[in-house]
Formats: sequence, structure tokens, C-alpha cells
Amino acid sequence: MKPIRPGRLIAKATLALAGFLAVFPLVWTALNALKNNVDIITRVPKVIFTPTLANIGYILGRDSVLTGLYNSVVACGSAVVIGIVLGLPAAYAVARYPNRFAGDIQFFVLSLRFLPPVAVAIPLMVIWLQVGLYDTLPALIVTYSLLTISVIMWLAIPAFQGVPKEIEEAAFVDGYGAYSVFWRIALPVAARSLIGAIAFSFVLVWNEFLIALMLSSSNAKTLPIVASELSQQGMNVPWGILNASVVLLSLPPLLFLGVLSGFLNSVFRQKKN
Amino acid sequence: MRRRSSLPVTFLLPTLAILLVLSMVPTLYAIVIALQNRELSSPGYSWVWFSNFADLFLDRRFLNAVWVSVKWEIVTVVATMVVAIGLGVLMFEVASPRMRNVYCLLFIIPVLLPRVSAAFVWKFAYHPLYGIATYPYRLITGGLIFDPLSKPATALFAVASVDVWQWGLFFAVIVLKLLETLPPQPIEAARLDHAKRWQIHAYVTLPMLKAPLISLMFVKMIESLRSFDLIYVMTRGGPGVATETLDMYAFSQGFIESGKVSYASAMAVLMMIATVITFTMLWKRVQA
Repeated sequence: MKPIRPGRLIAKATLALAGFLAVFPLVWTALNALKNNVDIITRVPKVIFTPTLANIGYILGRDSVLTGLYNSVVACGSAVVIGIVLGLPAAYAVARYPNRFAGDIQFFVLSLRFLPPVAVAIPLMVIWLQVGLYDTLPALIVTYSLLTISVIMWLAIPAFQGVPKEIEEAAFVDGYGAYSVFWRIALPVAARSLIGAIAFSFVLVWNEFLIALMLSSSNAKTLPIVASELSQQGMNVPWGILNASVVLLSLPPLLFLGVLSGFLNSVFRQKKN
Repeated sequence: MRRRSSLPVTFLLPTLAILLVLSMVPTLYAIVIALQNRELSSPGYSWVWFSNFADLFLDRRFLNAVWVSVKWEIVTVVATMVVAIGLGVLMFEVASPRMRNVYCLLFIIPVLLPRVSAAFVWKFAYHPLYGIATYPYRLITGGLIFDPLSKPATALFAVASVDVWQWGLFFAVIVLKLLETLPPQPIEAARLDHAKRWQIHAYVTLPMLKAPLISLMFVKMIESLRSFDLIYVMTRGGPGVATETLDMYAFSQGFIESGKVSYASAMAVLMMIATVITFTMLWKRVQA
């Protein structure tokens, strides 16, 4: 029998604590979303309470929240679709038809991530004001497309490079053209990694805050903006309602947890081989 | 056969053209605005050239914001890497394959949250009277009040802890996956030489992973620039200007306090120049 070493025990306890810290604050928020205000504002945290659906009902019944939800879904959805349509083919071209600019193109796409969001948002606000599109969804979609195209492209290049070359060569020999090799071979074979890249770009724009804050004043507010405004309703903060809105805002990205962790695994499996 | 296809041109050119337009138009326009004296309240403007930039260097609040931003970068990047490497190595050492999967799933959750959500979750948790994170302190001290977000000395660290909660745990997963890709022979060899566990990692595995770990740090440095959401929700730059980073100050100059869009843009342009130069140099070094 192996002796139990104290070092190992401490290590396991540290890990367990970290795992607890990772999810507990979120679980607590979800519990608070189900509490009446009196059960939240207690000096000693209450674990046992009578749950209520009032907070969630209130959130889902408010026009501002529903508009925010609609705006977020439309703006992020459209930007992701544009990112797919423009980003995937470009990534394939870089991955499979290397030219002497390939390195520069990859660096350019990455460097878009260096731009401070304020530096993009301030001039865009002035521009959209001048062309009369300030505070509209099209303005937000165009701005977000810059994010989605570059991120999808950046992540899809290695995904396409991971497709075995022999399969594509065989398709060429069978008389497929360059475009049908892309459509019928590369896309389906790389699909799993590509879905991960697309999900990642969605989470990124769904979570985006600064640009949406600067580019909207009333009509085009996305859900993160609406949620942050709920906290500014006077001194008497409706905690349960705020917690409910945090839960609503956090659910869509968490739906992708499985897809994204699978994506992460496939990236590293590829590295190992 | 591949060489003669029109595919690279039709697939690449439109996308690159759109990316160039979408990125260059705002960037160049930011510079144009910075050289003018635009304000939100009035449509008129004139060219003032570099006077916005000259004013910035005399603006003590701007210099404070530079210092806060530098502190923020250092604190979040260092703490994230320490947490990531620490937990990554622990998982590699003591967790069974099944537990590794469980931990990986748990550790990815915080980073997926919108930063606005993460900020709210912890803003509640840090509440001095009702917060769950301050409860142990209240319990031990018999009801003393600890309000990390409203003390200048602790506010930055309290906000930074949320950033590390999101990124440190996520990067721990990546460090574990990196360790798993290493060949087992060097570790076995070190073990035969009676190296201790921590020595194996300090002298064998982590040096072998130097390049990917530096890339990881590079990614974190870029992501740390996006601190605005956390700070906006948790402290609004306060107390006083203790957590006012550059983007927070640019935002409040441009939108909340005075509507001085040009002044804010001048700040943004300086940030842009600094980050593009720093990260281009770092990237070339990482690649080399």
C-alpha cells in the first residue's frame, strides 16, 4: 500500500479549492436570482430559502431586456455569419495556397487584436453619427464583423492545415476542381475544429461591451449594456433582479462550453501528433 | 493543378480588402479627430494639430491613468501566469485522467462569461455587508467590515482578482494540455536521477515549454488591455482615480464628463501607437 504523503494531499486540496472557486460564485449568483430581496440582504448568507421566480419573470417581462436580447442575437448572429462567409474561404486560401505574403497576412489579422477598442470605437462613433447610422444595428454588425472575420480566420488557418493533404490530392486526381475540393473535402473534414472557431467568435462578440456602449444610445443597446444599466437604478439596488439578468446574459456563452472544450482538446491532439 | 486555380485570389482578396477598410478607416480617422477640437455638444470644429497631445502630458490624471494601466498589465499578467502554471502542474501531478477532465471543464467556465457578468458576480461577492466573499472575514472578526472595492489600496487588486479568476484558471487548462504533449522520457530520466517533483518541473518540463508559455503570456498581455468592462462595472475608475486605466479615462473624458471627443481620441491614438509598437516587436521576437 502506498503511504499517503502530505504534499500530495495539500496539492489535491488546493485543486479542489480552485475548482470550487471556479464555479461557486456563479452558482451563488444563480441562487440569488431565485431569492426574494430579504433573503439576499442578510449578514449571514442564506442557503435555505423559499425560491421565487419573480426576478426571472420581471427580467423576461421588461421591454428593455427583450430588446437587448433581440439586438444581441441579431448583431452577434449577423456578424458571425459574415465572419464565416468571408473568414473561412480566406483562411483556406492562406492555409492551402501559401504565397510569400502568408506570414504578413497572418500577422495583419492578429494585429487587429492589438488595436485598443477605444481607439476603434471613438472614430467609429463620429463616422456613424455623420452617416446617420449611429445607434443602429447595421453599424454594430459592420463593426463586429471586423472582430469575427479576423478571429475566425486566425483560428481556421490551423484547422485547414490539419486536414491531411493526401485526401485533397486524391480529390484533385479524381477530377475535382479547386472550389469543389474546398466545399466537399476541406470544409467537411475540418468541420469540427471550424465549429469551435465559430463558437469562439460568437462568444467574443456576445461578451463585447465597450464598442456596444459607445455605438448605441437607445435603440441598438445589446444585452450587456442593458444589464449594466439595471445596476444604476437608484440606491435601492434590486439585487435579485440584477442576479437574474447576469444569469440570462451568461447562459448563451455557457451553452458552448462543450463545443469549446472539445475544440481545445482537438487543437492539442493535433499538436501532439 | 493547384497553382493555376483562381481560388486564392477570389477567396482572399475580398476578405483582406474588407478587413483593411474596416480597420484602417477608424484608425486613420482616430488620428484625424485627435488633431481637431471636436466636442460632442457642438457640430463645429477646427484643426488644433498637436495641442491635444501637448495637453495630455500636462494632465496629471492622464499620467495617473498611464501608471494605473501599467500596474494593471503587470499585476494581471504575472498573477495569471503564476496561477496557470501552479494549477496546471498540480493537475498534471496529482489528478487522475478523469479528474483532469472535470477540472478542465470547471476551469473553462469563468472565461466564457461575459466580463460584465463576471464583474457583477464579484461585485456582489465583494459587498462589505452582504457579499459571500467577505463573509468569512465578517465571521472571523465578528462583524468587522471589509470593503475591498472602495479602498484605494485594494481596489485594483480586487478587480484584478476577477481577471485572474477568468484567465488564470483557463490558462491552467492550457498549461496542463501543454504538459501532456511532452515526451515522457526526459521526465523518467530525471526521476531516475532522484530529482524531486518540483525540480522536474522547474528544470525539465517548464524550460521545455518555454516557447508556448511565452506565447501564452503574449496573449494575456493583449487581453489584459481589455479591462474596461470589469472596471466600468466594478469601480468606474474609483475610488477617486485609483483604478482609472487609460481606456476608462478616455471614455469618461469623451462621453461622461465633458464630451471632449478629440481629447479622448488623442489618448486612444497614443495607446494605439504604444501597443502596436510593443506588440509588433514582441511578436517578431516570439516568432524568431
